[in-house]
Amino acid sequence: MHGEVLIVGFESTSHTFGVGVVTGRGEHVKILANINDRYVPLKGGIHPREAAQHHVKTAPRVLKIAIEKAGISIGDVSGFAVSLGPGLGPCLRVGASLARFLSSYYNKPLIPVNHAVAHVEIGKFLYNFRDPLVIYVSGGNTLIAVQRKKRYRVLGETLDLPLGNLLDTFAREAGLAPPYVVNGKHVVDLCAEKGSSFIPLPYSVKGIDLSFSGLLTAALKLAEKYKGDPEKLGDVCLSLRETAFNMLVEVAERALVLTSKKQVLLVGGVAANTYLKEKLSKMAELHNAVYAGTPPEYSGDNGAMIAYTGYLGYINGLRIDPEKAIVRQRWRIDEVDLPWLPD
Amino acid sequence: MATGLKPLYMGAEAHIYLIEILGEKFVAKYRISKPYRHPVYDRIFRYQRTKTEGRILVELYLKNVNVPPPLIIDPANSLIIMKYIIGDKLSEVIDSIPNQQLSAVAKRIGEMTAVMHINRIYHGDLSLGNIIITNTLKPYIIDFGLAGYSSDVEEYAIDIHLLRRSLNALAPEKSELFMDNFWKGYRGVAPLLYEEVKERVYEIALRGRYVSERIKKRFEKYVE
Repeated sequence: MHGEVLIVGFESTSHTFGVGVVTGRGEHVKILANINDRYVPLKGGIHPREAAQHHVKTAPRVLKIAIEKAGISIGDVSGFAVSLGPGLGPCLRVGASLARFLSSYYNKPLIPVNHAVAHVEIGKFLYNFRDPLVIYVSGGNTLIAVQRKKRYRVLGETLDLPLGNLLDTFAREAGLAPPYVVNGKHVVDLCAEKGSSFIPLPYSVKGIDLSFSGLLTAALKLAEKYKGDPEKLGDVCLSLRETAFNMLVEVAERALVLTSKKQVLLVGGVAANTYLKEKLSKMAELHNAVYAGTPPEYSGDNGAMIAYTGYLGYINGLRIDPEKAIVRQRWRIDEVDLPWLPD
Repeated sequence: MATGLKPLYMGAEAHIYLIEILGEKFVAKYRISKPYRHPVYDRIFRYQRTKTEGRILVELYLKNVNVPPPLIIDPANSLIIMKYIIGDKLSEVIDSIPNQQLSAVAKRIGEMTAVMHINRIYHGDLSLGNIIITNTLKPYIIDFGLAGYSSDVEEYAIDIHLLRRSLNALAPEKSELFMDNFWKGYRGVAPLLYEEVKERVYEIALRGRYVSERIKKRFEKYVE
């Protein structure tokens, strides 16, 4: 039915501006380029306007490198995919404006992509998973989902803070960040290396739902108490991480048993964390399930996941009129009908 | 305990063994140690959750809620021996129950949940996987490891939020019918709690990430 399809995808929901290029025919898909540029705040957390300015500045360069790396000419593109949400408004608008312009200028279809769906699809693609239990953890999301009746259905999620936000907020308030990541390791992990003894902290799971706010408050109180004592602070970091990850793995296990899935897929920015991976793979093993976590290149926000999900949309006839392609800061993963998912 | 015997079922945190005592069938629920869990949490949870579950099973059994009555409760060994309820998990059979019967099942579950809440007990993990349906379509509520006592409406509402979430994820087409009848049963038993709990269930759903209704609700306040 289709010849060779070539999709360029744009990611700009939060701190990362990314361009991905994928080509494919039916189920044979290849990622040709995945170029990403991340905004790193000098102090504090992500400032939406500053992040958007970063995206505006870096966009032409990132797009040019991606096109060159892929070895394509932009006129040959079948369609442009763009992450329209959820995310930070000013950031989202950069990717959306660029994609709308390119789609109109080259008269090629525009394909809307939900950022959360893209995180899941790229993970499934990399490991050839068909029907996994999905654990999605990032700065903005912490949820457990399965596919059912053309959608991802959320089985459980955080009732307050996302896991990535918990770790980042703790790091910032305890004076460990920014930068949040040093040599590929999160500063909470680096701090935990100095600790040795475990302190039980508030542990709150509700079925498959989680709540991290009590844990954050308690950990910050201890961090204040042990200020200037790296060993004691290390104990707090270690206990915070241990408690948060224990909670997540416990609810994931509950969801796995409830749904009897045989594949467990960890996606999102926090998926790069080795301690979390280790715990989840141990858990999956108990239930004879196969575990996989997306590698760092594709676990953080990136253009390739948008291009790939755009490809799935393209071959399934998903299109959006550029004039109607407005960004959606709030757009839950379970609100999107996906024609490529089974009934 | 775990050696020799083969578990009848391996749950998320416990193994279930089928045993026979004086000709009667019982199950032994043994909370296992988890390799991913810190040893301190492992020790606390295996003890505490067993103790809580045993205590609440006794109380609810005496209040005529369909739960398996316990015979032996042994927190130090993370073990409960209770009556064997023969049936299927609601999560596995919900699609095969005709709507009329499912309505009756949902109503009965609503009534039992209301009895729990009136008695200040919350379940903590009220999902379709924790409801057993017998072949006469009698629902039993099981797995009280995350349960507890509280006077806070929040805990009651979370029970129902979890049930609804489980329905939406596993049987989206049955969700509305089920919840309508659930609320009928709940209201019949706990008319005073009903309004407050229902309002809170709605609020909890809005707390999820990226819920667009939440922002609308905030604006509505100013419009009024």
